[in-house]
Amino acid sequence: MIDQWERNVPVYDVPIWTRPFIVMCSLGGLALLFVTYRELAGLGPASGMNDAYAWGIWKTFNTMTLTGLGSGAFAIGIAAWLFKRKDLHIVMRTACLTSFLAYLSGLALLGVDVGRPWNFYWVFTPWRWNLHSPLLEVAVCMPTYAMIPLLLENFPPFTDWLYSHKPQYRPFVKKAEEVMIRFYPFIVGLAYLLPAMHQSSLGALMLLGGSRVYPLWQTPWLPVLYVWAAAFLGFSCVAGTLLFCSMMWKRPMDVDVLVELNRLTAGLIATWLMFRFADILFRGVIGLAFGFTIYAGLFWMEVIFLSMAVWMLRDSSRRRDPRLMFHAHVMAAVGGMLYRFDPTTLAFQPKPGAFYFPTPIELFISVGFVALAIAAFMFLVKVLPILPAPMRLWYRMEAEEKKAQGLERFVAAD
Amino acid sequence: MALSRREVLQRITVGTASAVATGAATGTALSGVGQAQEYPVAPPAAVAMLYDNTRCVGCQSCVAACVEENKTLENAPILGLHHTNLELNATTKNIIKLYKPADGKSYAYVKQQCMHCIDPACVAGCMFKGLRKDPKSGIVTWNSKVCVGCRYCEIACPYHVPKFQWQGWNPKIVKCEFCKERQARGLQPACTSVCPTKAVVFGQRTELLAEAKRRIKESPGKYYQDRVFGETEGGGTQVLYLSKVPFEKIGLPDLPPESVPEKYLKWQKRVYSYLAVPAVLYASMVGVIRGNWKKHQQHMNEEEKITGLRPQL
Repeated sequence: MIDQWERNVPVYDVPIWTRPFIVMCSLGGLALLFVTYRELAGLGPASGMNDAYAWGIWKTFNTMTLTGLGSGAFAIGIAAWLFKRKDLHIVMRTACLTSFLAYLSGLALLGVDVGRPWNFYWVFTPWRWNLHSPLLEVAVCMPTYAMIPLLLENFPPFTDWLYSHKPQYRPFVKKAEEVMIRFYPFIVGLAYLLPAMHQSSLGALMLLGGSRVYPLWQTPWLPVLYVWAAAFLGFSCVAGTLLFCSMMWKRPMDVDVLVELNRLTAGLIATWLMFRFADILFRGVIGLAFGFTIYAGLFWMEVIFLSMAVWMLRDSSRRRDPRLMFHAHVMAAVGGMLYRFDPTTLAFQPKPGAFYFPTPIELFISVGFVALAIAAFMFLVKVLPILPAPMRLWYRMEAEEKKAQGLERFVAAD
Repeated sequence: MALSRREVLQRITVGTASAVATGAATGTALSGVGQAQEYPVAPPAAVAMLYDNTRCVGCQSCVAACVEENKTLENAPILGLHHTNLELNATTKNIIKLYKPADGKSYAYVKQQCMHCIDPACVAGCMFKGLRKDPKSGIVTWNSKVCVGCRYCEIACPYHVPKFQWQGWNPKIVKCEFCKERQARGLQPACTSVCPTKAVVFGQRTELLAEAKRRIKESPGKYYQDRVFGETEGGGTQVLYLSKVPFEKIGLPDLPPESVPEKYLKWQKRVYSYLAVPAVLYASMVGVIRGNWKKHQQHMNEEEKITGLRPQL
């Protein structure tokens, strides 16, 4: 039977309090406890960071790497709205929610990572801005994107919920939607401009690292490679999430949409790989890739993961096998994340003898903030119409709701 | 008025040509700005230090004076009897190190502190100008009221100078600020004021550069490559070095004459100048999206008619 994703339907038939949800919540809670310790004791006792490796995984992994995964709203949105991939509109809600949560989690941890967060209010005073700093670009653009266009892109599921669950707010919802619809193209435009700017500036951050970043990664094209990697990481994250949720909660899958996602992801990765090799050849550092060093190893790991991903994406599309597709997207995500992480930490060599490894507390906080985002996702998809499904699932949900209401009335009358 | 084909072609050509000319002119103007403003030369009244390790006896008077002036002593680690730092860190802004070659040749000292670069990478990266280069004296200072504690300066500095206080809830960035309070009182920095052999001296950058070149001329071959480190290295610094051993051996990196920001942020600056590229990108994207948006709305309305369900945006 061929299923078609036609409408976003909540995961209405699964209870909210499941074991994985409780685990995620407690991991997040534990992380928040550790955050209190970090705020009081300082960064030294809580983390493995030092003067040579001044940036730890909170910045380099949770923000610089994971917001790449959170670029689904950016990448799929561009495909849907600018390049008219109409099939992809149905997965936009999943993309927007994963992106919003990834950004929120990364930005929150950024607030934990910086030493003097109370001074961040200067972001509201443009005359204080150092316009040439890539970090300023990130600091202004990223919260602006998450708090304005991305948040607004996430409004429709909430207005849907208000409309169906709180009938007294219906006039308000209608008015709000009218306003929203008028400004939507401008908001959406902003939702593509800002990530293009700050996802590339995240790469530009490492430019000032200069010779600290190993030559296989240090290139003037780092911003372009970074934003391009964010694009395919966004695709992989959304496709992987859709596949995982559909398999876990046994929801029907629209293989045609998934194949379209695979095709675009594979195309993006393939062009990215070509661009990466062209850059390395052109700068004449290809010899370093054949040295017997850990850096050469990391480089080939990225290349192998990503080429494998391209091959698996095409193969799984041909076989129309969701399990294989999921593995392919995991492969792509690991390769892409490795690329975004390497120049910041693994291929970052400040000076001889410098060493960094995150402390258990640091790791716990890092994992905990990711867990909080996952917990929020698990909760929201069960309450709001986020995940795509065939129309019949919507009717089934309505029927069950009516049945439950009828039963309640019966019980009350008795 | 109907235009002939010839006229249309003419207009297009003229339009294109003038657009290209304007673009080229803007480009030239921008690159001109780039040379004149973005990558500054040393201010005429730039203060400087000259350190000559053929004169340094390693007495560490300058370290003691620095610690006393900047009150960094309390937190310094104790090694044996004395407060001693082995590296620059958050408890000292100045340190004397010893380079001892394995082959038993003569050894050399080096004094480490902020180099007060002419085009500092730390200032280029700093978000809200928490690190700032004084336009007159050229001193790079840190402002506790603005610094967010992101530690980008530590990532960017080619000399590994700015240090972060890793303990406590209210950390600060620690680095030499050229004793700006003493200079305001008309005094010279603590370290240069106490040096018994005048191995490190304070003055105007132009004067000290001339002095260094005079010393090289007086005894050719005495100094490594007959070169003053800091004249052009990494865009030039306001702390100048003369050394009898190779500069790399005493921790001064081999840097090209262009500064770190000039070398690595050139394109970032061009793309973001006047926000022209983002503005054009935004305008064209909104244009395309508006067209597609109308079609999408029509599609949604049709769906609504068929299913009778509220359309989902």
